[in-house]
Amino acid sequence: MNIKVNKEQAATETKTVEFYDASGNASGFNSADVGSVRNKQEINEEALVAAGNPTPGKPAIEIGLREENMTGLQKTLRKYNPWFIARNYLDTVGTDNSDLDPTPRPIFEVRSGERDYAKLNDPVVHEANRYGTMIDLLNISDVPVAEGRSLEINGNPTVGENPNRNKQHGFHFTADNCIGCHACEAACSEKNDLPAHLSFRSVGYVEGGSYPDYKRMNISMACNHCDNPVCMKGCPTKAYTKHAEYGAVLQDPETCFGCGYCTWVCPYNAPQLDPIEGKVSKCNMCVDRLEVGLKPACVSACLGNALNFGVVENTPENREQVKTSIPGFPDPTITNPNIRFQQTKSMPNEMARTDSMPIKYHKQEDGSFRSVVDEKEGKALSWNLARLSSRENPLVIFTLFTQASMGAFILLFLGCVFGIESLVAIKNSVAYIPLLILLVALQAIGLLLSTMHLGKPMRFYRGFNNLRYSPVSREALGVALFFTGIAAFTGLEVLSFGMGYLEISAPAITDLIPAIQTGAAYFAIVTGLIGLYWMVRSYRIPARPFWDHSQVFTSFFGTMFSLGSVVLGLVAVPTLALTGNAELASDLLQITAGLAALGLIAEGLGLLNHAKYLNTESGEGAAAHYVQQTTFGKTYILRNVLMAATGLLMAIVAIALSETTLGLVVAAIAAPAVIVSLLIGRALFYILVIPTTMPGAFFWKNKGFEEHARDVGLADMPQVGVVPACHH
Amino acid sequence: MTSEKKKVGKKFSISKIFGRKEQNPIRIADKNIHQWKYTTCGYCSTGCSIEIGLNEKGKAVASRGNANADVNRGKLCIKGIFEHELFDAAGRGDKPLMRKAPYDAWQPSDWDSTLDHMGSEIQRIQETYGKDSFAIVSTGQLLTEEFYTLGKLARGCIGSNNYDGNTTLCMASAVSGYKRSFGSDGPPGCYEDFEHTECLIAWGSNLPEQHPIIYWRLKEALEKRNFPVIVIDPRVTMFAQFADIHLAITPGTDLALMNSLMHVILAEGLEDRDYIDAHTNGIEEVEACVKDYDPITASKICGISEDSIRQVARLYAKAGAAMSIWTMGINQSTHGSDGVVGINSLNLITGNIGKPGGTSLSITGQCNAMGTREWSSCSGLPGYRMLEKPEHRKQIADFWGIDEEFFPKKRGLAQTDIFPAIEAGEIKGLWLVATNPMTSMPNTARIRKILEKLDFLVIQDAYADVETTQYAHMFLPAAVWAEKEGCFTNTERRYNIVRKVQEPKGDSKSDFWIFNELAKRFPNGKKIHFPDTVEEAFDEMRELSKGAGRTLDISGMTHQKIEDACGIQWPYTEADAKRDEESTIATESGKLIAKGAQRLYTDGKFQTPDGKANLVPLPFVDNNEVPCTEYPFWMNSGRVVEHFHTRTRTGKMGNMNKYSPTPYMEMNPDAGAELNVKHGSYVRIVSRRGDAVVMVQLTQRVARNSVFIPFHFHDCVNRVCLGLLDPHSRQPAFKQGSIRIEAVDQDMAAQLNVERRTY
Repeated sequence: MNIKVNKEQAATETKTVEFYDASGNASGFNSADVGSVRNKQEINEEALVAAGNPTPGKPAIEIGLREENMTGLQKTLRKYNPWFIARNYLDTVGTDNSDLDPTPRPIFEVRSGERDYAKLNDPVVHEANRYGTMIDLLNISDVPVAEGRSLEINGNPTVGENPNRNKQHGFHFTADNCIGCHACEAACSEKNDLPAHLSFRSVGYVEGGSYPDYKRMNISMACNHCDNPVCMKGCPTKAYTKHAEYGAVLQDPETCFGCGYCTWVCPYNAPQLDPIEGKVSKCNMCVDRLEVGLKPACVSACLGNALNFGVVENTPENREQVKTSIPGFPDPTITNPNIRFQQTKSMPNEMARTDSMPIKYHKQEDGSFRSVVDEKEGKALSWNLARLSSRENPLVIFTLFTQASMGAFILLFLGCVFGIESLVAIKNSVAYIPLLILLVALQAIGLLLSTMHLGKPMRFYRGFNNLRYSPVSREALGVALFFTGIAAFTGLEVLSFGMGYLEISAPAITDLIPAIQTGAAYFAIVTGLIGLYWMVRSYRIPARPFWDHSQVFTSFFGTMFSLGSVVLGLVAVPTLALTGNAELASDLLQITAGLAALGLIAEGLGLLNHAKYLNTESGEGAAAHYVQQTTFGKTYILRNVLMAATGLLMAIVAIALSETTLGLVVAAIAAPAVIVSLLIGRALFYILVIPTTMPGAFFWKNKGFEEHARDVGLADMPQVGVVPACHH
Repeated sequence: MTSEKKKVGKKFSISKIFGRKEQNPIRIADKNIHQWKYTTCGYCSTGCSIEIGLNEKGKAVASRGNANADVNRGKLCIKGIFEHELFDAAGRGDKPLMRKAPYDAWQPSDWDSTLDHMGSEIQRIQETYGKDSFAIVSTGQLLTEEFYTLGKLARGCIGSNNYDGNTTLCMASAVSGYKRSFGSDGPPGCYEDFEHTECLIAWGSNLPEQHPIIYWRLKEALEKRNFPVIVIDPRVTMFAQFADIHLAITPGTDLALMNSLMHVILAEGLEDRDYIDAHTNGIEEVEACVKDYDPITASKICGISEDSIRQVARLYAKAGAAMSIWTMGINQSTHGSDGVVGINSLNLITGNIGKPGGTSLSITGQCNAMGTREWSSCSGLPGYRMLEKPEHRKQIADFWGIDEEFFPKKRGLAQTDIFPAIEAGEIKGLWLVATNPMTSMPNTARIRKILEKLDFLVIQDAYADVETTQYAHMFLPAAVWAEKEGCFTNTERRYNIVRKVQEPKGDSKSDFWIFNELAKRFPNGKKIHFPDTVEEAFDEMRELSKGAGRTLDISGMTHQKIEDACGIQWPYTEADAKRDEESTIATESGKLIAKGAQRLYTDGKFQTPDGKANLVPLPFVDNNEVPCTEYPFWMNSGRVVEHFHTRTRTGKMGNMNKYSPTPYMEMNPDAGAELNVKHGSYVRIVSRRGDAVVMVQLTQRVARNSVFIPFHFHDCVNRVCLGLLDPHSRQPAFKQGSIRIEAVDQDMAAQLNVERRTY
């Protein structure tokens, strides 16, 4: 099937090239351009295949199984399925169920005397876009979509009369013209009734040159309703839908549980996580206006004649270019965004950002701009230990505890299976049940924190909605099942201990327990490893180059070994030593120290490789590395020294000192150092990442100012538009 | 999927996503608007027609541009887009307040006793210290009928000659310059001139920030037909960047440039000699004066190369029609009035007045600065009449039914002279109507000291938290904008109507009502008729606007006609109205669309005794406070698009305020590097007057020896501003001064920044 799709894809591509060749340069790019874009596209498709997209090149128009498509049996099963009943009940908790106005009315009221600038105008439509994706969405929807069905906006059954409503639409932005007047942002916020701290569209700018030969280029950006909506694929709750109408990627805040993963994967900062409401919302393309033939509110409000809208690839009236990028715009091959640009005026070779991101844009030989590091904060090294604490703290704990719990459990269980004496001894010791409970508790705390980290924790159960695409769903399911497995295992252990203690004799049960426990343990190990794999994959985000590296794999699996061994060792080695099993204790010390060393060395090598990669990379990854080496420079060095030293010490203990008291002392010192090193490292992992977002302005969308406003209390005034520090 | 299924033409409900049983529909914010009400935007003077959406409870919840209006054609800028929010913005006054002294606590009061007290205090002060010892400073924010009523009250009842508007801070130089050139105030051009002009010079005007809708009109014209745009601005604004030619002028030297442009035009014989001969006086004096301003000399003064001066002069003079627009870059200068006269002269010698695309168009600031100029009697008597003319005094005295001797024979003090008169002890009482000198006047420290000296200070404002209230003895809560009804006049002389959208907040009252009620407390208030409705007041104005040769003739207008046409430009006489009624131009709705005069002086006849415009020689005297070793930076101030004036409105609405929530300063990175000033850090700016703390934005938009600071913030740029007064207009030179930059403790500065931000 993949092959077939690819063939179709290839055919379409050929057609596209011919089409554009025929129209010459009028469309603003020549076939060479298309070729170079496509090369990147191919590379990107590999990445997409790797990211779990089953049909590369095929846009994910995903409407899914509707009730109308179900068989009677499916419906009945669904009706009496307790899971669905429970879920449907929970769905009503904290959900906006306000009644929709049933009065027959137009979808959007067109004002009297409406002018042409606000009216959609696409007399001619191309067959496919430059990436080869069909513009007619009915052709590429993976479920049957009826032409002329209602969007039922706010429950209104009226069907829009727009002749192009099944064509992919997109914005066109003439960067030459934007005056930065905020009218687009304001019109959007007015229409969508947004509080000051949110905006579906934002204007930032880049600037360069020197007085008076100074150039500022404002960039107005909202959602680009991408061909490859990474937000939709990433969303664990299936809050997103790419509609066959206009190709609008719409998100339902009432499905969203506020994990914010879409805000991580989107390269354009389109989804807006509202920390106050605890949910995401985003640009809805003003589909209500589109249905009555009007351009979106932002476009109609534009006062520089910069922003326009129509069927994608169309050249607006009086414009000559339909480029895919301008300085400051992230790599379009990540998502194939439906935005096109005109930018004919020459810009200085270097365009800087006024916000605090250490990024600037440098002109390349072909005239395009690429992001490079802007060493805004100089080269001084600092600690900034307080800033290690961030709103992602729960994820720091969740990932570390999960990895520790998995590592320790796998080691403990498999060690016994393989008959490693020291671990068998632990199994038979008084510490076994407390150790198991500790591992369950670690995992429980991790899961609880990650759940509480959600904007809407009560909606946690929706985390598994999108197993088809979302690595987060898969991760969540894997970890949840792992937890179920070890909890069952531990529970049964406690049960059999309790029965023994109370001298209850029930051979029917007692005989079964070990078998069930074995099943539960293998189940936990398999699901846990799958969960951990998808945890790694969750961070392989092209829009976050600092994360998008194999280092996440070595780090997460390395930590599973190192932290798992340290946790196990900290409990088990003293237990054996204190119960007079000195020999077994040194055996176990050797095993845990050795595995910890292996984990640390793996992670260390991964980090070394990561640093090497970041040094040669330009852009956001390198910028994050720059922050790592300066703002957190001393902290970074401390972590590296700790990791190298503890790795080395653990190795020495494992190889030479495990039978000595010195070995025990060294390991006792190294173990907490390992924890500190991993904690710092994980905290850095979250706070350092720099997404490929759009440039901000001096106050608005400037992380530096937001941080300052929170620190000094300006953020306490809601009209400043910065959300004060939120405590979940 | 089977192909069979694909064929099914079943109606799907998109709201059922992903096969979930309980599906959520697509929800898009629905403000449930039951009615859209026509009104006119109350921020700047572009004059946009706006519609406010009311929900079923009658609450204003949405704003949109009126697409039928010719001015804005459905567009609004950021401020208009959120205008419905201002009714409920924080800080509104809802009760009259009184106190014995500014250090006492406010006591809530009722209107009757408050106005009784106000009337008796004014009369006590006037009896003790003389008629002119009580001063009134009004605004450009009220409705025209309210201005007319205030004028009646001030000139006809209170009788103080120290009565002026805060338009002295923004448009006085334009008024003065128009009067000196053309014999009367009134911008002669219109926005439609963009469609016809072949060359446009913008003098100290940053349209995209200040007047985005006018900029859009210009952009629309440019998209249809390209013509050269020349922007003269010391700062590389977006407008300067987008201009064909940007002249980065040395601050305060535009007169030298104007003279030099005229020098080139006259030296090269590019002038319109026929027009000069037929319609102007004084060409010889001007020729003699501009001889001294050859491009080489001028280039040394204004920092613009001699070649550029010649190029622009030729371009402008050779264009079939050329126009100049300007804003505060010209007006707020030590020679603002001269600057306006210079622009007018440039246009007169090239024959660019009163023709399509050829004009001198001042771009006005406040929503009704024009209305106050026309009808408030601030600088004279209603309808551009002058106190200095006996026939005008008689006409108005007769119309109002009072003794003409009650009027002074000469205009009194301007706003900027009223404050020094308080300082000197000549004025003891002050009534401020919708103006906030603690933020808007130059040299805050001086103003603070002056306000402390007053025996009686009344603040009449929609906002109880305007900074000046801290020195007040009485606060009168006024209704704001569309809580009342009446007219605004825009930059292109267009009357547009503000319709009442909501009831005034709490116990606040329309300014019209307050003036009417206060008038009853004065003897003349019983003689003069103060009509109860704004429409009747408008009728009085119509009556007074009639007369042969008058440009400001609104006699053909009515409130309803103004709304139907989304604004009518004056002059619009009864004869014009009759013409329109007889013509067949009607809209789909059957409403008659009145069309006023787009331009003044189309016949080359001016409001001077001999009907000829004046060409005035303008020697450039550099009295600016220029940078020196002690104060090495030029300080420039100006507007940002998201704020209006002293932020009493926009500072409270997050969706505007968030774009610049705290004071900041644009500074050149090279200067920053030398002084070790970091981007985003705080510095203290110091002038000969005082200091202020601002956050630094390093940008090459400003010159190395220059900084730019938005003027909107309290306790900011006006603490350091000198504000020398223009000799003709008495307008302060806000934009030229010098400062130095000092380091400041960052934590203290941040704390100060928070404490200074009540909004």
